[in-house]
Amino acid sequence: MRLKRIDHVGIVVRDLETALATYERNFGLRRDPNRGGELPALGIRNAFIPVGNSDLEFIQPLTDEGPVANFAKERGEGQFLLSLEVEDLSAAVEELRAKGYRVSDPNNGIAFVSPKSAHGVNLQLIERR
Amino acid sequence: MGVGATHIDHVVIRSSDSAATAAHFERLLGVPIRRTMTRPGTGAHLAFMKLREVILEFAGPGQPEAGEPRAQLAGIVLCVRDIHEAVRSLRELGYPVGEPHPAVQPGAMIATVKGGTHGVPFALIQYGAIPEKEES
Repeated sequence: MRLKRIDHVGIVVRDLETALATYERNFGLRRDPNRGGELPALGIRNAFIPVGNSDLEFIQPLTDEGPVANFAKERGEGQFLLSLEVEDLSAAVEELRAKGYRVSDPNNGIAFVSPKSAHGVNLQLIERR
Repeated sequence: MGVGATHIDHVVIRSSDSAATAAHFERLLGVPIRRTMTRPGTGAHLAFMKLREVILEFAGPGQPEAGEPRAQLAGIVLCVRDIHEAVRSLRELGYPVGEPHPAVQPGAMIATVKGGTHGVPFALIQYGAIPEKEES
């Protein structure tokens, strides 16, 4: 598997605007105005703050169901996911499955390694085009 | 204003058995572990791998806990240009920030932000903050 970089770290927050205000005003970071928004199909809204070659993704659950909402219920705010950019997503999924790891089918350039295959850590693989 | 962050330097993964989790991620990701060590003072076991400029740090107790390893994302370290200025800026805003102290990375200083970061343990690191001793 050809890993290129850490694409982003996903952070679950209770209120997106409050969290963004904290990181912008107090840490001097700036959100990317061209990315993020409301994603009803995922039950979330999100925003990205670039830091060097990676991003912090802030994610607010909008529903009571789904992985983000479950994380918020169980742990409150905090780091939710580590996203890794790969050169070739299909090849990466195939390779990991051949090694016995559980990986979701690629969908829109994204696949997830099951936490059961990563000692409990949420890992996302992403292919940028 | 702000902390003058240049990039994410570390992402920390805390594990009940950091050696086992580091070895597992080495196989999973195909990225070699570059360094392992015991943290002076706490006895914590640390292992490090690097993806471009970002270090993945696996941290756990000196003695692994029994059972299957359990890990979770547990911190972000931002690289800053001037750690003393960054700490001063955050303290002025009321953040509880520890005193900058030598990091396990040679020549680097690190300071921990102890709250106010929406559930994410944060630290700041500056490389080259400790001048090398001149040879006599």
